[in-house]
Order: sequence, then C-alpha cells, then structure tokens
Amino acid sequence: MTADRFDPLDPVIHSPLRLAVLSVLISARQADFNYLKKTTEATDGNLSTHLAKLEEAGYIRIKKSFQGRKPLTECSLTEKGRAAFSAYLRALESYLPAGTKKG
Amino acid sequence: MNEQQAREDIQIIKAMLDKTRKATSESGTLFIVWGCLITLALIGNYVLVYFKKYHWEWLVWAAVTAAGWIFSAVYGYRKDRRAPVKTYIQIVGRHLYIACGAGFLLAGLILPRLGAYSYEAISILVAAVTGILFFVMGGLFEWALLKWFGLAWWAGAVGLTLVKGSDRALLYTVLFIVCYLVPAFILRAKFRKERSSK
Repeated sequence: MTADRFDPLDPVIHSPLRLAVLSVLISARQADFNYLKKTTEATDGNLSTHLAKLEEAGYIRIKKSFQGRKPLTECSLTEKGRAAFSAYLRALESYLPAGTKKG
Repeated sequence: MNEQQAREDIQIIKAMLDKTRKATSESGTLFIVWGCLITLALIGNYVLVYFKKYHWEWLVWAAVTAAGWIFSAVYGYRKDRRAPVKTYIQIVGRHLYIACGAGFLLAGLILPRLGAYSYEAISILVAAVTGILFFVMGGLFEWALLKWFGLAWWAGAVGLTLVKGSDRALLYTVLFIVCYLVPAFILRAKFRKERSSK
C-alpha cells in the first residue's frame, strides 16, 4: 500500500478527545456536559477547550441553560458534524488492510 | 497516521458507542409495572367471571389501563427530563411504547366497546400487538431473545383462535406469564448487570 492511497484525515476530528465526543454524539440527539465528561474521562477545562473547537468548526451545537438553579450545557451534532464524522470513518478505512475494513 | 493509529481511533469510537449504549439500556421498569397491573386485571377478571359479573369486566381493564398510562406518562416525563444523554434508540423506543400503548387501548377497550368486534377477539389482537412490541424492541436493542418472544406472541395469537371461552383465557394467561413476565424480569436483570459492570 502506498501513501497516496491514504485519505487525508480531518484535523478537527483527529484528536482522541474530540473523536470521543463526536462518537457519543453520533448516536445521541443530545448529551450534557457532565455525561460527556464522565464518558470520555476528560477534565472540565480540557473538555471545554475541545468542545469550543468542535463548535467553532460548526460540527456541534452547544446550548446553555439552567435546570432549576444548576447550569446545564447540552451538546448536539450538526449536519456538518455528522457529514464530517462519516467522512472521517471512510478515511480511517483507507488505513486498514483490505479485508479487515468491515471488522 | 498508520494502521495501528487507525485501529486506536476505531477502538475509541467503539468504546464510546458501547458506553452510551450501556448508559441508556432499557431498565424494564415500565414492563414490570404494566406486568403487575395486567396480572391484577387478569385476577380481577377471573373473580368477576367466577361471580358471573361479566358486565364489569371492561371497568377492571379500563381502570388498569388508566393507571398504567398515568404512571407511564409521569415516569417517561421525569426520566426524559433528567436524562444526561438522549439517544435515537431511546427516542424510537419511546415512540414504539406510545404506539403499542395506543394499539392496546384501541384493540383492548375502545374498538370492542364501539362494537367493532366481539370481546372474544380482544386477547388475539392484544397478543398480535404485544408481538410487534417485543419483536421491534429486540431489533432496537439488538437482543435476539426478545425477537423470539415476539414470534411466540404471534404464534400465540394464532393459537388463541383455535380455543374458546375459558380455555382461551387460560392460554392467554400462560402466554402472558411465559412471554411477558419472564422477559420483563430478564430485561430488568440484564439492566442491573450492565449497570453494575460499568
């Protein structure tokens, strides 16, 4: 396999934490900040930084509100984010040997 | 990026999908509550038939259905409000419950009261709707056992047409215990096991 057969990977998604966040959001209509923090095992600051990057790229939507007196931050995937995630998966496949891609 | 890194990325994706699936797995609470209510209604129905008070049978089922719907609505609303993540599977599942609940209400109470068919046919139609509920749930939660219970309900619906009167009531009760209560408790146990393994 030669290097020119590899598809380029989206640099916005190509980070373990951002990939993890998008992987959660791909199957969910929305997820709150605490759930994402717990699931990805990230710290508050780190997660906030990466969420901001994803929002800046237009891949996720962040909605801030209050539930009672507690602040609530909810994230959801945008259509652009969904398309980018699908493209990222297809690009990842190009790095796998033929015959193992569906596994 | 090389093959090893690509595999690591795929592992991250799989791990996140798996964690979310476990966090949102079906608790079986509504199944058990409905199971208890229907058991009460079946006992009430038996008592009324024993004392030949056939006229009040529908009232037992109406009361149980109303209680079940109120509980389901309050439980669903509170659970939805507090949920930290809302998956598409949960959303489809909720719509399936509402659709089948409406099916039970129509097939079991409203349509026979309106004279669409005889009361004798209620258990057959309810069994057919229950089959849909279990079969689709099995597909949604990728659990083949539930699909088999769905098939058993459909076979039971056909079986119910072959018997009449008290035999039909007896067959329906057996079907309900084996194909509803048993999977409801298995679902609950599976949910607890998944929660404790997180």
